[in-house]
Amino acid sequence: MSKRYGRFEALKDVSLTVPAGSIFGLLGPNGAGKSTLVKSLLTIVRPSACRGRLLGERIGHRATLAKVGYLPEHARFPDHLTGRQIVAYSAGMTKVPAGRAKVVTEELLELVGMGDWADKRNGNYSKGMRQRVGLAQALVNDPAIVFLDEPTDGVDPEGRVEIRKIIERIREQGRTVFVNSHLLAEVEAVADEVAILAQGRIVKRGRTEDLVKAGSRFVVRALGPVPFELKARFEADGAKVGGDRVECECEDARGVQGIIDAMRAAGVVVREVIETRTSLEEVFMSAIRATKGGES
Amino acid sequence: MMRVALAVLMDSLHLLRARRMFGISLAISLAIAVAYAAIGFDAGGMTLFGLKKIPSEHLTAGSENAAAFYILLFTDVIVRYWLAWVVLLIGLISTISIFPDFLAEGSIGVSLSKPVSRPALFLLKYAGALLFVALQVFLLSVIAFLAIGFRVGEWNPGIFWAVPVVTFVFSLIYCVSVLAAVWTKSTAFSLIAGLGVWGMSLLVQWGEDFTYKLGVMMPELGMTMDMTTGEAQVAEEGDGEGLRAWQRSFEAMMTPLPKTRECTLSMKRLMVFSDRDSPLQGMDLGMIFSPGGPDPQMQEVMRKYEERHSSWYVFGSSALFEAVVLGWAMWIFARRDY
Repeated sequence: MSKRYGRFEALKDVSLTVPAGSIFGLLGPNGAGKSTLVKSLLTIVRPSACRGRLLGERIGHRATLAKVGYLPEHARFPDHLTGRQIVAYSAGMTKVPAGRAKVVTEELLELVGMGDWADKRNGNYSKGMRQRVGLAQALVNDPAIVFLDEPTDGVDPEGRVEIRKIIERIREQGRTVFVNSHLLAEVEAVADEVAILAQGRIVKRGRTEDLVKAGSRFVVRALGPVPFELKARFEADGAKVGGDRVECECEDARGVQGIIDAMRAAGVVVREVIETRTSLEEVFMSAIRATKGGES
Repeated sequence: MMRVALAVLMDSLHLLRARRMFGISLAISLAIAVAYAAIGFDAGGMTLFGLKKIPSEHLTAGSENAAAFYILLFTDVIVRYWLAWVVLLIGLISTISIFPDFLAEGSIGVSLSKPVSRPALFLLKYAGALLFVALQVFLLSVIAFLAIGFRVGEWNPGIFWAVPVVTFVFSLIYCVSVLAAVWTKSTAFSLIAGLGVWGMSLLVQWGEDFTYKLGVMMPELGMTMDMTTGEAQVAEEGDGEGLRAWQRSFEAMMTPLPKTRECTLSMKRLMVFSDRDSPLQGMDLGMIFSPGGPDPQMQEVMRKYEERHSSWYVFGSSALFEAVVLGWAMWIFARRDY
């Protein structure tokens, strides 16, 4: 998918596959093109070039949108509508039969914790409550995939945890959740897969677990400086040695056993072994830096 | 599609209920309708709420004059002033933010991400806004229908022409506002555009009307106006020729514009009431209260004046204007990225 606004390229040959039934996180700094990508998938924005399928149909196929849920960034529902009316409007627009809509609306408002507030007007809701109603309206048509654009933006920490729980519940129901966010810790906590979008390009993608695992490191600390002979050997094997520390990148603890054995054989006392994992934020920052480096 | 249409119309009704202006306007409309229904006639003249009496030897209970007068009050006062001006203006102010709000970031996306085509969504939203006026006029027409039925004994469904005609007139102004809204997303610009086109079209219509009265009607009545003194004189051969040329120019300017005033005035032709043996038949209130009273020659000239533009011309060219403006707005709406 590509999208141009005059000379500006908002999306440059973006290619993605999102596994069904997973939570997919699209990360990127502000202005990276995350919202443009989602809007293009949902026909809100007309892509300049697009080839692909959404739920088995070509992207832009209108009838398929009946099986899609969407919570836009900065969702703005009319202040005069109640939570129930907001959800009912979405139900009508997605052609959910009136009887079914009534039942589902009730269930969803309970699910998002808005059951007691269903008949109060949107103008009286807090930001967190509005987002919850927004989530409910996105689910009213029993969608196979739900797009959530910055769902926790402006929501307090407690509200974020609740929204995260709701997202996990949506996945448990077998739906695919596509989350756009720049809040990396949140995405890391829930997403099965992530892609990082920067300057309109996908710069990194993969399973969240793999991305953070790829950056796993072990630090072995000795009681006193690491002897010179060992230092040269470890460095030749790709480890970093400095003072009493030996740092190596390896997937799991098995990879560090050789270092520990060598140190003990040389009579060095091992003081501690620390496992450190790269956070998604570090993966993200390194990907963004690499993109900027590549551009310059 | 029915389900979607219902959802959008329900949304519009929720919006109307939330607008204080709608409630106030509706209440005043109902008060006017009730006041109209309260006008009655007895052997001594006209009554109001059965209490206040206005003595008249012509407007007595059961007389043809009273019936013709009662109908004139509806067509020449309620329709011509309240419905054609106040309801339209309040309607425009109350509905002006519908499209700019709908197009706002965070709002439009929800609707566009649904399995509804953009043109359908646009037209449903537009129709929803027209409900504001249609509902008010309908309620007022129902009361007027009952009042005329009970007071005059004429159960005339032609009264309900007010609903589509006034709604159509409103739509002629509103479509311009919608075009401005989808173009700029600005409520203020949208209001200015609607009022601007309404004002411009009124000026041209008034210009045509004025030059017709001076250049055609007065010479037909054997009179001419001395433009320097403003006094009426006996017409001579060739008088009013220059004004007729102006009238034709105004008419040409008027053709592509929405004919809001003419449409409202045409309603009188659409609401066909029974012929009555009354000199008030076919007159307007101004003529009735003129010092000389009803004049048959004047009535004939008035009839020609009222019928100088056919309904096809008035409504057809206005509908064409609306189709072009609305089509343009819909095209922008459908092609745009949000």
